[in-house]
Amino acid sequence: MFYKLALKNARKSMKDYTIFFLTVAFGVCLFYMFNSLDAQTAMMQLNQSKYSMIQQLIQIISGISIFVAVILGFLIIYANRFLIKRRKKEIGLYMTLGMGRGKISRLLSLEMFLIALLALAVGLVAGVFLSQGLSVLTAKMFQTNLTSFRLIFSAGACRKTLLYFGIMFLIVLIFNAASVSRLELIDLLTAGKKNETLKIRKLWISVVGFIAAAVCLVTAYVLIIQNGMMSLDWKFKSSIVLGIVGTFLFFFSLSGFLLRSVQSNKRVYYKGLNMFILRQFNSKINTTFVSVSIICLMLLITICTLSSGIGVASSIAQITNGLTPYDVSLSRYVQDTGSLQNTDMAEKLKSDGVDLNKYASDYVETNYYELSIKLGDLPFTEKDIAEITQSRKALIDQFKSSHLNAITLSSYNHLAKMQGKKELVLKGNQFAIVGTADKMKAPMNRFLQNGLTLSVNGKKFQPAEKQVISMGLVVGDNSMDAVLPDDAGKGCPVKTQVLCMNYKHGVTDSTFIKLLDSIYSKDAKGKTTPAYSSQITKQQIIDESAGISVTSSYVAIYISLVFLIAGAAILALQQLSESSDNAERYSLLRKLGTDEKMLNHALFTQIGLYFLLPLLLAIVHSVVGISVVNHAIFYNGHYDITQSSFLTVLIFAVVYGGYFLATYFGSKGILRQKAENT
Amino acid sequence: MQKILSVEHLEKYYGNKGNVTKAVDDVSFSLDKGEFVAIMGASGSGKTTLLNCISTIDTATAGHIFINGQDITSLNSKKLASFRRDELGFIFQDFSLLDTLTAFENIALALSINNTPAGEIDDKVNGVAHQLMIDDILEKYPYQMSGGQKQRVAAARAIVTNPSLILADEPTGALDSKSARMLLESFESLNKNLSATILMVTHDSFTASYCQRVLFLKDGKVFNEIDRGSDSRKQLFGRIIEVLSLLGGDNANVL
Repeated sequence: MFYKLALKNARKSMKDYTIFFLTVAFGVCLFYMFNSLDAQTAMMQLNQSKYSMIQQLIQIISGISIFVAVILGFLIIYANRFLIKRRKKEIGLYMTLGMGRGKISRLLSLEMFLIALLALAVGLVAGVFLSQGLSVLTAKMFQTNLTSFRLIFSAGACRKTLLYFGIMFLIVLIFNAASVSRLELIDLLTAGKKNETLKIRKLWISVVGFIAAAVCLVTAYVLIIQNGMMSLDWKFKSSIVLGIVGTFLFFFSLSGFLLRSVQSNKRVYYKGLNMFILRQFNSKINTTFVSVSIICLMLLITICTLSSGIGVASSIAQITNGLTPYDVSLSRYVQDTGSLQNTDMAEKLKSDGVDLNKYASDYVETNYYELSIKLGDLPFTEKDIAEITQSRKALIDQFKSSHLNAITLSSYNHLAKMQGKKELVLKGNQFAIVGTADKMKAPMNRFLQNGLTLSVNGKKFQPAEKQVISMGLVVGDNSMDAVLPDDAGKGCPVKTQVLCMNYKHGVTDSTFIKLLDSIYSKDAKGKTTPAYSSQITKQQIIDESAGISVTSSYVAIYISLVFLIAGAAILALQQLSESSDNAERYSLLRKLGTDEKMLNHALFTQIGLYFLLPLLLAIVHSVVGISVVNHAIFYNGHYDITQSSFLTVLIFAVVYGGYFLATYFGSKGILRQKAENT
Repeated sequence: MQKILSVEHLEKYYGNKGNVTKAVDDVSFSLDKGEFVAIMGASGSGKTTLLNCISTIDTATAGHIFINGQDITSLNSKKLASFRRDELGFIFQDFSLLDTLTAFENIALALSINNTPAGEIDDKVNGVAHQLMIDDILEKYPYQMSGGQKQRVAAARAIVTNPSLILADEPTGALDSKSARMLLESFESLNKNLSATILMVTHDSFTASYCQRVLFLKDGKVFNEIDRGSDSRKQLFGRIIEVLSLLGGDNANVL
């Protein structure tokens, strides 16, 4: 009988449980999807560096999962509180019939358990299917192939999901028992008649609050634009504080301000149910402005992380292209490997058993001469330096004291040939600047146009070109160096030697780098001094950037989806818990002769306003925020926002829109139910 | 005299074949314009069901109801809503004011549902408020008013659209005797000065004694009807008590 009651109750109140169900199902689905990455990537062809990248990602994700579980746990407790509130009368009836509190809380828990079980199943099934999409995406981002495509079910992720959600439900059960034991019979039976105390604010408070909110927000925007998110100075901090205060003030005063301004236009105010809608909205938001403000800020984080997380991924892909001019660069810092000073790197390698001619289609060894000119001696303005070093103190000093390096014209021409680029011609007293350091490009161009002279060994050199030559000299490096005629740099100390090479057809990292590692690894037989201090390959850069792209975009999507779900679910629950009270008001309107169309319109507008306003403010915030972030990260405007904002809009439409519709139809159901009862 | 309401052989049954409850059983009566009529009866006598049928909230099983010459039993639900809006005014026992709106807005809402031009709303609301002596509480919210004030605001809302018929369901049910008296006096003045037609359901003899005519229902049928004629309110009260003793309480038939 007890189980039958629970089962029937669960079926009957399925409508009330919709939001609970949706939230648990969404949560489970997300949780499973991201935690099953492990099993999915087992299907991919991965080399060592990709593999370690993915392991790192999996670790980050599982760390975040704990945080996500806490958020979802709170959400479920909140949803459960709503359900108890909604069924006060029913619980009161059980109590008058003599059912003990313990039994009631067991009844409620059993109902919740049934629903949760169903949601868990739905969430897992959806998660299993959606994770296939995720693994295709992962493979694409890692530029690798799936060895075989089949439906993967990750038992580990499933167990983890069950464990986490099991713990969550256990905690909810405790809360459940606590909240049932606190209920008083008299309150339960008269729950429907109790009036919420209205909070009406005085006009001047609303107006002053609204003006203060506007001032706070505008100031915050101006400060953050000036700061440019370059440093954590007082401007940045006060912008964040003002933004938060402004948001709270905005929602604190918004409804009163809105009400008064519409009231002053009688034609609008007295039209149809406008008066009623505004008053409803006003009374609701006055009591919930704190949570609405928090939700607005959560939405802001969602929008920003979603669009910039994905944006970072696509911009990294573009940056990578400039960093990989050759297949391999082996660098040797002369001061570290003193005894090898004058040996040829290729010779040394050959004597250690690596004949480059067997592996390389072409290679060139470049000496980097350290000129006596320091970067601090060049006419950089304070602003240039601030841009380049992002105003970090340690970097400023390092920047100013570092020397300008130079390579010879013949090295340059060989490198250019390897990349299929045009060779350079220099007269005896000319120099050129070459490199891909984006932030130094503009000031350097200015110097070249103004006719900068470099003096090397007492001889003066004039710029051959008015522009910096944009070409990468080393894999994974984007510095700026000078090119001088071959004999000009003689006598300057050689700082580094770099060997750049392209592989022969069929040679890859796994053959060449493995070979080098085996020779120079610490426990190799006949240990010898390495021919180089560091090695970096094109493949490593690509893998690493793919790893960063995947990590940043997955973490962004994961966190922001959870925030989005949490925000939307809270809004939905607040509206639904209000619907019982609203039901009385709407049935009265119906009695007064309002037709269904007008009523539905009023309900739609009321819920729509409640969902839309925090979103609108969050969008305004994030437009400012994202444009500043873009300027900071993607200095040269590499970054195309359309794709990521399209995805953001899509995700919002599905999740936020889904919750909105569920709320609207749920409220409509509650109102209709009430109407049939009376 | 113009007939506002005419109920003809109205029947309302509840239940299914095996177990039929006749809540309203072949009731006929009519109201002329400007009449103030009470329907009395014990609980379960069918008075609320009758009122619900007339107010188009419930549908009749058989029979006809004409309001202002229009047969409301043949209207569809969409037309019913607009009919209710245009022709009827309601006053409920529990006041049924919207707690989020001020008194003024509660009254104005009835007008804006009726699509009254915004420019006319202020004057109309103020006029009715003056009539019901609630000018000074117009800016208050329901929770700031006494029961009597709330009910007079509800009365103002009912009358402001100038309906053909005002239906009141136990309007004094939740009021103390002083507030009840004030409310009934304002009903009287609405009836006399604005010649509003009022149909009131009550089980309280004192409330009914303010009317010109009282219908008594028992087990869904019209049991008796008394007309005030030229009697004073006190004399009418006496006659109502007489009928009620004839009608008997719930136990009278058993004894």
